[in-house]
Amino acid sequence: MTLPTSGPALDRRDFLRGALGLGALAALAGCGFSGGDATASASASGASASLAPAAKATIDGDLVYFNWAEYLDPDVLKGFQKEYGVKIIETNYDSYPSMMAKLSSGNEYDVVFPGSKEVAQLRAASKLQRIDKAQLKNADQVFGVNPYFDDPWYDSKSDYSVPFTMYKTGIAYRKDKVTTMSGSWNDMWNTSASGHIFVLDEADEAIGMAALKLGLDINTISPDDLAKIKEALLAQKPLLRGYSTDDINNMAGGNAWIHHMWSGDFLNLVNNTVKDPGNYEFLAPKEGTPLGSDTYAIPANAAHPGTALVFIDYLLRPENIDKNVTYLGYPMPTKSSAAAFAKVSEGHPACTVTVEDLGRANVFKTQTPEGKAARDAMWTEVKAS
Amino acid sequence: MAASTRDTDVEPTRTRRSASHTRLWGWLLLPPAAWMMAFFVSSIIIVVLLSFGHVGPTGRPVFGASGANYAALWNETYLSVFLRSVVYASLTVLLCLLIGYPVAYTIALHGGRYKNALVAALVIPFFASYLIRMYAWSTLLSDEGLVNQALRWFGLSEGVRFLNTPGAVVAGLTYGFVIFMVLPVYASLERMDLALIEAGKDLYHGPLRTFFAVTLPATRAGVLGGVLLVLLPALGDFVSAQLLGGPSTFMIGNLIQQQFFESQNQPLGSALTVVLMIALLVFMVFYLRSTDRQRRES
Repeated sequence: MTLPTSGPALDRRDFLRGALGLGALAALAGCGFSGGDATASASASGASASLAPAAKATIDGDLVYFNWAEYLDPDVLKGFQKEYGVKIIETNYDSYPSMMAKLSSGNEYDVVFPGSKEVAQLRAASKLQRIDKAQLKNADQVFGVNPYFDDPWYDSKSDYSVPFTMYKTGIAYRKDKVTTMSGSWNDMWNTSASGHIFVLDEADEAIGMAALKLGLDINTISPDDLAKIKEALLAQKPLLRGYSTDDINNMAGGNAWIHHMWSGDFLNLVNNTVKDPGNYEFLAPKEGTPLGSDTYAIPANAAHPGTALVFIDYLLRPENIDKNVTYLGYPMPTKSSAAAFAKVSEGHPACTVTVEDLGRANVFKTQTPEGKAARDAMWTEVKAS
Repeated sequence: MAASTRDTDVEPTRTRRSASHTRLWGWLLLPPAAWMMAFFVSSIIIVVLLSFGHVGPTGRPVFGASGANYAALWNETYLSVFLRSVVYASLTVLLCLLIGYPVAYTIALHGGRYKNALVAALVIPFFASYLIRMYAWSTLLSDEGLVNQALRWFGLSEGVRFLNTPGAVVAGLTYGFVIFMVLPVYASLERMDLALIEAGKDLYHGPLRTFFAVTLPATRAGVLGGVLLVLLPALGDFVSAQLLGGPSTFMIGNLIQQQFFESQNQPLGSALTVVLMIALLVFMVFYLRSTDRQRRES
């Protein structure tokens, strides 16, 4: 920037010119960061096996923790901080895509909780660290228990992720407000609850809901299918109160009578949130439900991978698994947590998810970039209209 | 010095002093300018460049030179979102004016020795994060929230649906930004010569006519400033629509957020951002020109 060395006034034009130049320089630096994509994608396509040595499970700093809000028992988190004398620095996301956006823009976290589809994407983009199972004292709680999780479709040999929870997406409703439920996805279009229906604010879940109602594949990218799905979603819109992932609060606040909802959130609602749990019911529609599983993973650029490993190992202790299952209401595919889940899901068999269920079709998978763009564009148009 | 100031020919001295002053200010300006360039102007440049790019095979944005993103915006859905945002923002400005002006007027002219305390009382709630206050409203206004419980308790109503409506979005925006109307109007009322109002009365104007013929024109700059300060954030806001809105209250801010996060289509989000910035710039230029004209007139 040229500063005036003489003359009575700062020349505005000079100032602006210099300013723009400086800004452009800084922008160039930013582009350099974004241009790194080329190398990242090259190494991703050249086999996802990054050969960097996996971290050792020793405390190497505070834990930078990136998760859904309240997606672990706070007591368990407190226990970790106390036992190891480190701080947990918590940041939350409200959808998987926003988690992916923050990870791919280079933010540093030590531990994240991606769903299976996201693990596949992150692994392909070399965004995760390999997890050495020998570093986990409690690895036997979750590995060697179910063949499905020893070599899942999303992460060959579970090299880059550790199984966490299993979930199902269904419909929650108020028995005291709605009496006409048919047990089908058509219930999300139930006119008797008009103005009190919420749909989960995620492209996959919303598309999956309409696809199952119409008898289509939840991962469809066919333009014909997407047109039909769009039509169904638009027809549903006048009945809706909103699109939201804040399912527990929407139900508890009384705004929702029917809510497109995750199984564990429903159990959390009836067990921990409302005073009259008898008024709430969860149904798994007969056309089938989307199913999925979440994981623990360590991003490639984590600053404290050692602490992250210690943390994951700590979460795999049987007593902590039981605490988290009880708090979250989601089953985990571990050796000994079945009893804890049976207790927390008592009276709501529809919330059960088994490993066998996951082997079936309705799991969200990664789409081609064009397919994903078509789904996203359709979903944006539905929301914006 | 003392002698030279008394001198008839003082001009050269003053020029020299102000020149060195200006140079000092120039240097003092360097750190903040560098800061703004590095973190503000640069990001705007990146956004503008990205708006001509596309999404790469791994989902990362790639720079380019195509107008496809702008062409994609020329679409009924996006246009209707834009129109909706303008309508919500205009209603917000109107409400802020109707609420903010009387409040500022009362404090400035009738606040007496409590003036500063009253202004502080208005400002303090705004120390809490906008997001937190919006969350609070969504809890208060929910169907089984405090407001509806109170209505039922007093037998006034069986319950009103406040939340997830366009009205709730505009109310949220108004609540969020009304302070930006009150403060500039208050400042211009404070500056106004009260003798003008007296003069209006002396000329047998009624209170209403005095207000419209004297007070309002005298505070025009404050009102225009307030209108701009409310309009700009209201037009780009997404929090109110997200927390208080329903399925059909998507604003342009939501659309941008959706592209950057959910759809991970940063180039399209950037194109939307650029269009929004241009629209805001138009309002800004209009404001600057009208205040400029006013200054020249006075």
